[in-house]
Amino acid sequence: MTTLLETRDLKKHYRMGTSTVRALDGVSLSVEQGEFVALLGTSGSGKSTLLNLVAGLDRPTEGSLRIFDQDLSQMSSAELSVHRRRNVGIIFQSFNLVSTMTARENVTLAMMFAGVARAERDTAAAELLSSIGLAERQQHRPRELSGGEQQRVAIARALSNKPHLLLADEPTGNLDSHTSRDIMTILKTLNEQEGKTVIMVTHDAQLARAYAHRTITLLDGVVVDEQREPRA
Amino acid sequence: MTFRDTLDLALRNLGEAKLRTSLTTLGVSIGIASLAGMVSLGVGLQDQFVSRFTKSGLFDTVSVTPGQDLPGGLARMAFGGRGGFGARRRAERAAKASPEAAPLRSDLNDETIKELASMTNVREVYPSIRVPVEARFGGESEGTLASGVPMSAKDQGSFQAITYGRFLSSDTADECLLSLDMAKRIDEANPQSLIGKELTLGHGALGNGGGGPAQPVPGAMPSANASRVDKSFTIVGIIERETGPFAGPATISGVMIPLGRAREILLATRALTQTLAPDRVVANAPYNQLIVKVQHPQNVQDVEEQIRKKGFSAFSLNDALQGAKRAFILLDIVLSLIGSIALAVSSLGIVNTMVMSILERTREIGIMKAIGGSDGDIRKIFLIEASAIGFLGGISGVVLGWIVGRIVNLGANIYIQNQGGTPGNLFSLPPWLIGGAIAFSITISLIAGSYPAARAARLDPIRALRHD
Repeated sequence: MTTLLETRDLKKHYRMGTSTVRALDGVSLSVEQGEFVALLGTSGSGKSTLLNLVAGLDRPTEGSLRIFDQDLSQMSSAELSVHRRRNVGIIFQSFNLVSTMTARENVTLAMMFAGVARAERDTAAAELLSSIGLAERQQHRPRELSGGEQQRVAIARALSNKPHLLLADEPTGNLDSHTSRDIMTILKTLNEQEGKTVIMVTHDAQLARAYAHRTITLLDGVVVDEQREPRA
Repeated sequence: MTFRDTLDLALRNLGEAKLRTSLTTLGVSIGIASLAGMVSLGVGLQDQFVSRFTKSGLFDTVSVTPGQDLPGGLARMAFGGRGGFGARRRAERAAKASPEAAPLRSDLNDETIKELASMTNVREVYPSIRVPVEARFGGESEGTLASGVPMSAKDQGSFQAITYGRFLSSDTADECLLSLDMAKRIDEANPQSLIGKELTLGHGALGNGGGGPAQPVPGAMPSANASRVDKSFTIVGIIERETGPFAGPATISGVMIPLGRAREILLATRALTQTLAPDRVVANAPYNQLIVKVQHPQNVQDVEEQIRKKGFSAFSLNDALQGAKRAFILLDIVLSLIGSIALAVSSLGIVNTMVMSILERTREIGIMKAIGGSDGDIRKIFLIEASAIGFLGGISGVVLGWIVGRIVNLGANIYIQNQGGTPGNLFSLPPWLIGGAIAFSITISLIAGSYPAARAARLDPIRALRHD
């Protein structure tokens, strides 16, 4: 297996007034291609900060962060935006769909930034939404969709530019347990059948152990536990 | 991201906030309307001015007067002096300063007319003649100036429209034209009834020179053998004399007779003057002023220059027109500055709208960045939104400005007509002004939108995503 992601002594410090918050304080870990990794921890443990750094939404204060042999800590903001549109697909707890756009438009928006031609992205978006069970809901706006449906649109959007790495930040945090299981099943299928590497942030240890190959637990910005789960 | 995608996104964003977009656009259109209206007023006034100038037929005219070293042509034309005080002193000084310069000439005679007529680009040269006559009609008489009209003046300048009757038939016809003012002085109620009637013009002459019955002039020195010549002219037309600063060529005066006849009278009175007061006659220069008509208005400057090199003074209304054009540019600038005030206010409206829109759409901007939108993409979306507002505001502003201009023009023309003036288009909206106003509107909107757009582009995606 090849290493997809490798961090070495990764630090992210924020200034809050006069004090410094050490959101990440020296994290070294690696993720192999095809893995399903869960980042566990309480709120403020630094798990979301780590995910944001991997997503290229933020820059580390110190340390190295290599994805596909590129060092994100050295990238310009334009290069980071290319990284976001090519290498990763992000799924949020609060779905983060554009409220004024239909489901399909939300999916095509990501492809628009990637420069995919209009006709091509319309077809691709329709296919993606159908494959995820939303064939009939393409022309609906987010407020006309249930939470689970919205999260599926978000997954379709994350997949639209065919990234190798899916990043999910509490993807089931706003969903009931039944819908949560659906979403997790989709992520698991994507991981197993399409070979997507998944990094998921969650505070739900049970959920993490049920779906992930490996759980990494953070506390106060450092890794305190790492466990390989027996394959289900 | 292609331009079309960006445009689609921008337009859809504007459509999502219809009320705000339309209010901002209205603000811009009022700004553009005031700017375009003001400039259009400036252009309209200039057009009025230039068209009256053109109507006067003087665009292609150079007037030639005796040479002077100072550009006093206009003053000379107006006052008819012969060089003015100190002319000789100036001439000597000029000769000393530039010995190679042509000697000043004052020989305004028929040879000079031929000489000037042979120059390239010159269509015609004729003397400007105004002779003092006594006009008699019925039992009354009035001293006036009779001016000589060349046949080429037909349908030109002030002779384009002859109010009653027709133009002179030939250079030696015993016919005359009257100005409407003159005709009204003769017959207040019914000036057109004068057409076909006879007007007698009397002038002084030496001996029995004029051809008509000579009578002794009362008060003249008997030794001078002065006599009075009366000649009868048929009134063939009455023209409305233009008043004001654009009164037209010197050929317009109370009584206008064929140039050939005017020359006869001039030579007769000159012969008399030569006998009575020899010191008041310049040798070899029967004419005060020559009129040179050029082929095309653009030849004026060149011909004027060549005539100056020959040693005459030359003046054309192009000189005055250049000055007037500069004055109009200044007027345009002042008017556009006034018009720009409203536009400045409305550009602040754009900044305000876009800043508000960014606040409202912070989360959306965060989403777009998270799924791969670059800072440049975000900036482009907002800049295109701003320029779309500018484009729409520009178009509706031009329309609005035009409508307001029409209304003001209508009101102004009613007023002008009540005051006895000629109505005209005070506002002119040429294509360049339409295009320019729209382009300017887009430019201003882009400038106004650049700060909000930069702000949107700089947004930190994580913070933007947390924004509610």
